[in-house]
Amino acid sequence: MKPNNDSRAKRALRFIGPRLFQFVFVIWAAYTLTFLLLHLLPGDPLIAALSVKGGDATPTDPDELRELRARYGLDGSMWDQYVTNGLAALRGDLGVSIATGQNVGDMIARALPNTAIVAILALVIGVTVSMVITYWAFVARRSWLRNSLLQIPPLGVAIPAFFSGLVLVSVFAYGLGLLPSSGSRNPLSPILPAVTLAMPVGAIFFQVFSAAVLEARASSYVFTAIAKGVSLPLLFFRHVLRNALLPSITILGLLIGYLAGGTAVVESVFSRDGIGRLTVDAVLARDGNVVQGVVLVVAVVYSVVNLLVDLSYGLIDPRIRPAGRRRVRAAHDAAVVAS
Amino acid sequence: MKMLISRPGMLVSALVVVAALAMTFLPQMFATHDPFEGIPADQLQPPSAAHWFGTDALGRDVYSRVVYGALLSLATAGLAVVVGVALGAVVGLVSGFVGGRLDFVLMRIVDVVIAVPSILLSLIVVAGLGFGAVPVAIGVGIGAAGSFARVTRSQVVRVRRAEYVEAALGMGVRWPAILVRHVFPNSARPVIALAALEVGTAILAVSALSFLGFGAPPPAPEWGALVSYGRDFLATAWWLSVLPGAVIVVVVLAVNRLARAIGGER
Repeated sequence: MKPNNDSRAKRALRFIGPRLFQFVFVIWAAYTLTFLLLHLLPGDPLIAALSVKGGDATPTDPDELRELRARYGLDGSMWDQYVTNGLAALRGDLGVSIATGQNVGDMIARALPNTAIVAILALVIGVTVSMVITYWAFVARRSWLRNSLLQIPPLGVAIPAFFSGLVLVSVFAYGLGLLPSSGSRNPLSPILPAVTLAMPVGAIFFQVFSAAVLEARASSYVFTAIAKGVSLPLLFFRHVLRNALLPSITILGLLIGYLAGGTAVVESVFSRDGIGRLTVDAVLARDGNVVQGVVLVVAVVYSVVNLLVDLSYGLIDPRIRPAGRRRVRAAHDAAVVAS
Repeated sequence: MKMLISRPGMLVSALVVVAALAMTFLPQMFATHDPFEGIPADQLQPPSAAHWFGTDALGRDVYSRVVYGALLSLATAGLAVVVGVALGAVVGLVSGFVGGRLDFVLMRIVDVVIAVPSILLSLIVVAGLGFGAVPVAIGVGIGAAGSFARVTRSQVVRVRRAEYVEAALGMGVRWPAILVRHVFPNSARPVIALAALEVGTAILAVSALSFLGFGAPPPAPEWGALVSYGRDFLATAWWLSVLPGAVIVVVVLAVNRLARAIGGER
């Protein structure tokens, strides 16, 4: 066996380096894409926002407009704005909202906790329910039962979140009076939005997870385990779960993106102060600065989650670990020599 | 025909889609009342034989409004798919056909467009373009264009190495003609399958954006806007939101079922 000359730090760098690059790239690209879409589409961003805000009282005096442009970071050529605003964002300064005059970073920081509670709760509910349904389908002995169980989650994608949210409100808030219908003050208020959001999110997770589990069910190691008399529940938790988790975790980043988009609708339905509602209000006010800020924050969250997911692969699957890969190869070599 | 009878799900889905299309083009055949004219005496009536989906606060028949709303909802979704396919096909064709550095750059851009959640992308576009059915359609279309670009490119890359393309080249056919006559028709099938699936997604996205208030202005009966209108009466008149919402769900389920059949799944 060849001795390994690489230092540990070098190996770690080679593993993490490309992922860090991707991390930076996604954030930069999200900023650029939003900037281009907001500035290249026809219409002046400042005039559009001011006319929504002021109606007929829109200022038309050139000097006044120039001053307003400077305040909102919309002065100079497009390239100037792109560089200045980008550098400011790097320092954590997301500019000033045209509609409210507040600091965009502060607005987002105030809204983020409300959204995070709902998003995390929705993720937990969605993942748990789809795992339970997959487990039942796995242990089901009759194929019709298995097939009908597998038919349930795709419904979650077809039902619009605004519709399921309203049905939940009319049943649980107005019908039974169990949970608050709107707002973000009541400690029980995140439950209904989270359940609403969990349906599409759970359905997406389910598609990947159940496919991985059913694929594992057909594989030879499961066949062997069944032949040796391992019970189905034990087989599921001991052998199949770990193998099915890897592809499922990959889409976690995708789900974060979906959650970010889904909160726009759900928070409007439930009148919660969060990132999604902030975005919708910003679009209604045609406030490009807030939209840009929200996209940047979402891109950072998305990238952090993806980075964590990438690094967690090694924990779940030793074959992906750089050190582990060497050990696996060593074991493989030894086995080849022995046979 | 035999296939339709042996698969009740497919039959029902096909009927729903045909009915939805008929409502789009011939709303007066299906509507029982005028969608804009209210009868003040009939305010907020629950569903009954006279008003199948009940009436709203102005005494307008909700069922007729849903029927007339089909045009706006489905046409906007259709336009969104057309925008998505057209943009994606052009980018994918160029990227896959030219190859090299341009291909690399275009595909990295597409990666980012796919990574940004499509509703967020649509919101950015609407923020830039303004409100209305057409901006919503363009926004949803751009949101979907990334996946179309990727699928088209992968097909083009496969087809351009095919022997018949080489043969045409050897016979002296020019590149543009090859692109139109050979590459495009042979790479279209997976794109069509994806487009069919995208119709359901587009209906959902368009109605979500209209629900948020970015679609056609109020008197127009759009499905998402109808659901949004009913929110204010949810505690007292549930049918205003729930029945139009149910129509959206049924149509999307039917469209998705047919789309999967087009995609080759039985």
